[in-house]
Amino acid sequence: MDSPLTSTGSTVKPSRADGLARIAATIAWVNAALWIGVAAAAGPKLLEPERAFAFSVQALDEKTVEARFAIANGYYLYREKLHFSVEPASLAGLPVLPPGKIKDDEFFGKVETYRGQLAVKLALQQPAPGSKVVVRAESQGCADAGVCYPPQVQNVTVTLPMPGTQPEAPVAATPARKSWFN
Amino acid sequence: MTAWQWQFGGLIAVAGAVALVAGIYFGGDAGEPLTADLRGKEATGLLGISLPDTKGHEYPLAQWKGKVLIVNFWATWCGPCREEMPEFVKAQREFGDRGVQFIGIAIDQPDKIDAFAAELQLNYPALVGGYGAIELSKTMGNRLGALPFTVIVDRAGRVAHTQLGPLKEAHLRSIVGQLM
Repeated sequence: MDSPLTSTGSTVKPSRADGLARIAATIAWVNAALWIGVAAAAGPKLLEPERAFAFSVQALDEKTVEARFAIANGYYLYREKLHFSVEPASLAGLPVLPPGKIKDDEFFGKVETYRGQLAVKLALQQPAPGSKVVVRAESQGCADAGVCYPPQVQNVTVTLPMPGTQPEAPVAATPARKSWFN
Repeated sequence: MTAWQWQFGGLIAVAGAVALVAGIYFGGDAGEPLTADLRGKEATGLLGISLPDTKGHEYPLAQWKGKVLIVNFWATWCGPCREEMPEFVKAQREFGDRGVQFIGIAIDQPDKIDAFAAELQLNYPALVGGYGAIELSKTMGNRLGALPFTVIVDRAGRVAHTQLGPLKEAHLRSIVGQLM
């Protein structure tokens, strides 16, 4: 075998370079194998309901908040089971829920579900700049994997901004957790 | 092997090592099981309770000790629960006289339970659980409190199997077959 030339023109002993390359390649393959093993051992993963149906609220102005659900991939919520309320304020009217996906259910007939991102504006009867309101969401959902969660209640407290100012940052019901797999 | 090849290999190795460490650190509960493994343990949590049917008649579960018990937590608002129940009705009909007993614990309203039971021609007790039943299922290992959740108890009153999610007919028959 010829001695390989490096860019500087000096030679590296072939046996040493080969040896290092083989070690590096072996480590790379062992890493890959470990990864595959970990993923396989983890098994089918079902999220906690607060993570499958992550609830957050953003106070948009002194009399409007937006309730949001970030529904994880492979999960869905029932439109009929979704209810919002606020305290201590009261809502100006029934929140307008967007149309969901219609499914024909053997037992219940036409059923409407939500997937992905869902945002619902809640208008307060009285503007209350600077004060705190608790937004409560009742929901019930299932996973495509074949399980359903019992009805959940989640609460978020937000502060309504002063008139003419920027909306506050959204507040999550459950803080997001760093996770490689989720 | 050229110099760039072993440098590249080295880079892959380092990247792989970093990824693995990060994965383990951030992986969180990736490996946590969905249900606690209670197999072999006495099913005292279940056999010690009493629940009413939709007419208010009380059923202490201990009355069925000695049978192969399939206790299924379900609800009409749970699609996957409704879908698997016809196979339970079938199995109850086939194996009932060989000491097999299905029991449904519904987290639901009595009128809805009655309507669905009538539609299925349910041939086993449909007991009314309420939200306390979710807590009961958690003591039997249902970490997420989700449905359907099924506990199979052997003739000695010990947990033989727990299942979160639908219980496939073949799997059910294989377990029950061994316990009969």
